[in-house]
Amino acid sequence: MSEQERRPEDDGQDFANAAWSIPSYLLAGMAIYGGAGWLLDRWLDTSAFFPIGVVLGIVLSVYLVYRKYGR
Amino acid sequence: MITLTAPAEDQFKAPSPDELFTFSPIINGVDWFTKPVLLALLSSVVVIWFCWAAFGSPKIVPRGVQNVAEYGYMFVRDQVARPFLGKDADRWMGLLVTLFFMVLLWNIMGVIPVVQFPVASHIAFPAVLAGSIYVLKVYLGIKHQGAVGYFKNMMFPPGLPKGIYLLLAPIEFLSNLIIAPFTHAVRLFANMFAGHMLLAFFSMVGFWFLFEKLTPLGAGVGVVGVIMTIIFTGFELFIQFLQAFLFAMLAAMYIGGSLHAEH
Repeated sequence: MSEQERRPEDDGQDFANAAWSIPSYLLAGMAIYGGAGWLLDRWLDTSAFFPIGVVLGIVLSVYLVYRKYGR
Repeated sequence: MITLTAPAEDQFKAPSPDELFTFSPIINGVDWFTKPVLLALLSSVVVIWFCWAAFGSPKIVPRGVQNVAEYGYMFVRDQVARPFLGKDADRWMGLLVTLFFMVLLWNIMGVIPVVQFPVASHIAFPAVLAGSIYVLKVYLGIKHQGAVGYFKNMMFPPGLPKGIYLLLAPIEFLSNLIIAPFTHAVRLFANMFAGHMLLAFFSMVGFWFLFEKLTPLGAGVGVVGVIMTIIFTGFELFIQFLQAFLFAMLAAMYIGGSLHAEH
């Protein structure tokens, strides 16, 4: 939808979309990068990549939410 | 340490999930036909009857059942369909109204005396509904945006720097296609499950301390149990309505997201 076609009710819709998507994105980010870190830990026999992955996942999710809904 | 040596049947035991949610078949030999299944079938019949009675031969000035149903219809249209579907709202009202009334009735079963079992507290029931909505969402997305376009719009939202897509696409994929349908079902299930546990616990406290083992000290606890049961029944009514609303609202949100790419 282009900028000219935006109706006032779109803002409320965006807000609701964001509110319901954020937990899902955070969870997905943690699961993907935490999971990758956990696998890396198992493979390399270390224990540092799992927490790094979880934090990275949260950072990326927050960034995604910010870029999609934040402006 | 008197309590440890007292006979087990003299002590209050909180109801366990196993006692509350496991039912034996109603008809011997037909294993699948248990109380939740009967209630779900009953709910379908009631919803069909309700809509038939209300809209079978509609009057211009609504009376009786039609009045109630139109109130529900307007609520779903204004609060659920229009905010998420815009001008497509009317085409999807049939599905959304049915979904809302169905889930609402399933939930209300939890506080109807004698019946007293919220159907959705068995995860299979919300899982089937959420699964159907999920199939519909993916089908509509592919139909309206094209097979490639749907996944491209979902996983590569416009307006991000190029390099970051590689990192963000898996998050979008997992969030939209795996976590979303899962939470859709689990949100309804968990609310109904926990609510039924709480109600059962407080009514058990009341029943045990006032009727089974009435003692001067225990009576106060029993009275608290009864009062809490009454308060939580009211609270449950609110939660049951809210969860039915949210279930229909999320369905509308997923359908709306598939009809138009995000902007």
